[in-house]
Amino acid sequence: MTQTQQESSAPVSTGRSLETNGLRKSYGGVTALDGASVTFQDGKVNALIGPNGSGKTTFFNCVTGMIRADEGTTTFRGTDITTASPHRIARQGIGRSFQLCRIFPRMTVMENMLAAVRPQSVWKMLGSARDAADQERARELLARVGIDHLEHAEARDLSYGQQKLLELGGVLMADPDTIMLDEPAGGVNPALIDRIANLIRSLNAEGKTFIVVEHNMELVMSLSDHVVVFDRGRPICEGPPSLVQNDPRVLEAYLGI
Amino acid sequence: MTASRTVNRGVKIVGLLALIALALAFPSLAPDPFILSVGVVIMSYAVLATSWNFVGGFTGYISLGHAAYSGLGGYATALLILDAGLNPWVAMLLGAVGVALLAVPIGIASLRVRGASFVIVSIALVLIMLLAFQSWGSVTGGSNGLRVPRPFGPEVLRPEQHERFFYLHLALLAIALFTWWAIDRSRFGIGLKAIREDEDKAEALGVPTFSYKLAVFVVSAFFTALGGGLYALWFGFLDPIFQFSILVGSYMVLMSLLGGIRSLFGPLLGAVIVGYALEFFKAQYGDTQFHLVALGLLLALVVLFMPDGIIPAVGQLVARFRPQAASIREQTQAELAAQRRGEASEPDRDDAMAVSGEEARR
Repeated sequence: MTQTQQESSAPVSTGRSLETNGLRKSYGGVTALDGASVTFQDGKVNALIGPNGSGKTTFFNCVTGMIRADEGTTTFRGTDITTASPHRIARQGIGRSFQLCRIFPRMTVMENMLAAVRPQSVWKMLGSARDAADQERARELLARVGIDHLEHAEARDLSYGQQKLLELGGVLMADPDTIMLDEPAGGVNPALIDRIANLIRSLNAEGKTFIVVEHNMELVMSLSDHVVVFDRGRPICEGPPSLVQNDPRVLEAYLGI
Repeated sequence: MTASRTVNRGVKIVGLLALIALALAFPSLAPDPFILSVGVVIMSYAVLATSWNFVGGFTGYISLGHAAYSGLGGYATALLILDAGLNPWVAMLLGAVGVALLAVPIGIASLRVRGASFVIVSIALVLIMLLAFQSWGSVTGGSNGLRVPRPFGPEVLRPEQHERFFYLHLALLAIALFTWWAIDRSRFGIGLKAIREDEDKAEALGVPTFSYKLAVFVVSAFFTALGGGLYALWFGFLDPIFQFSILVGSYMVLMSLLGGIRSLFGPLLGAVIVGYALEFFKAQYGDTQFHLVALGLLLALVVLFMPDGIIPAVGQLVARFRPQAASIREQTQAELAAQRRGEASEPDRDDAMAVSGEEARR
């Protein structure tokens, strides 16, 4: 474990990691987010669930600056990040994965990892990317996600599951405090789902906050401390998994009963 | 693995030395001044294509209007000599710095759009330059052209001029290639390549994509302007219709695509092939437009059969005859089964159910 990771394993907790207030986003006539106000807890595994089209991914994209919300504010640990660009939000300490796994296909696995390194000065920016310490850290993280033997492979040659692991490795390489995962179990086999779940648990135990969008209810219920349910662009219910599971509003939103 | 890498490196170094020796010997091998002048033209193309490849190769932004920067570099050099009385070489350098500064606002405006929109903006730029330089006759000479004073005195005869400019272009090419190589291996380079592969993803990882794109765009404009300035000093005459031509920009793109935009020497190889072909067709078919038809065909063939360019295609061909690299799945099924039996309670280490390497390879 590296120094930086050890440091971030004991974050200065304000209790609230990410907070949105009245987030609204429309695409033409379709309202994807309808005044979403959500607070995610620091140091917890937060889950964001809801039927398809309920605005979860739009919420992720607004929060991470990939799309600009029409109204509302987002704060991260007390800092307003509503209009910040995605790379600034990332540098504040939010890492994210994408619904359809996104990696840099024509770069090697190692280069994919090194792309997440943030040089602190122009001099370092112009220095060799093959820094021994950076590579060592990348190898540790690749070993942790279980694909260290693929270091020299081109990312496009990896299986979908391996690409998902690489994407997660890249996010970890940037050393964020809060990790937002958009359907980490989507399209992967059960053995890999277990591995991803174990990774989330162990990283959370080290102090990382998670916000996970997921459709696999078994995973959500076993993994998360706090569940937020979205329907029609806003949260309709939140609380511990056991409570949310039996909430009539959730059953209505999912099953129409 | 390590042994094969050492061999690879050895082959590369020998190849590089052979290339340098060949380039240095070219003027003495050239049978006549005409062939030597063709060599200068090809070197000029190589400088321009390599300079273009700072933007095209690293970020994947295809600029068809890079002739704007070579043209501006040429005119800036000429005007600084004629109007400010500067030494030609100082004029060339200052002109390129000026073009690089001008590239900052142009980059800020044009790098906001991607894909086809960026291509169109780049074409618009070169067309605007063409109109401006044709109309602004009092300064640029307009359509009558502008005579550029030669940097070497009348005692230096034409063949020797060619020889000197061949080496000057070669030196500029070496500097451009070295800079490309240095960026390629840097953290900056990794960030740029991440932009080429997936700009949104790079941004989400914390890469300041806009600043990175702008920085490399300015570097590209600087080298392109130097190339334009050096060409102007050699050719001695500037006409807006040739300087700000979409064709010149297209040549830079075609050369780079042909050789391989992700390879250091791709644009150089492309410049040698296309530059030679252009001169050959012009010599064979005179002033007809046949050379353009031939180039169009060449571009179509490249896009269809070698979309990554010649260097990667040859690299893949060579790799076929080497011992096959290990599959991405390093453990065999038997090993996995043994491992499972051994640690039945542990979650398996390898992504056993995932698609195997052979299947995943596209």
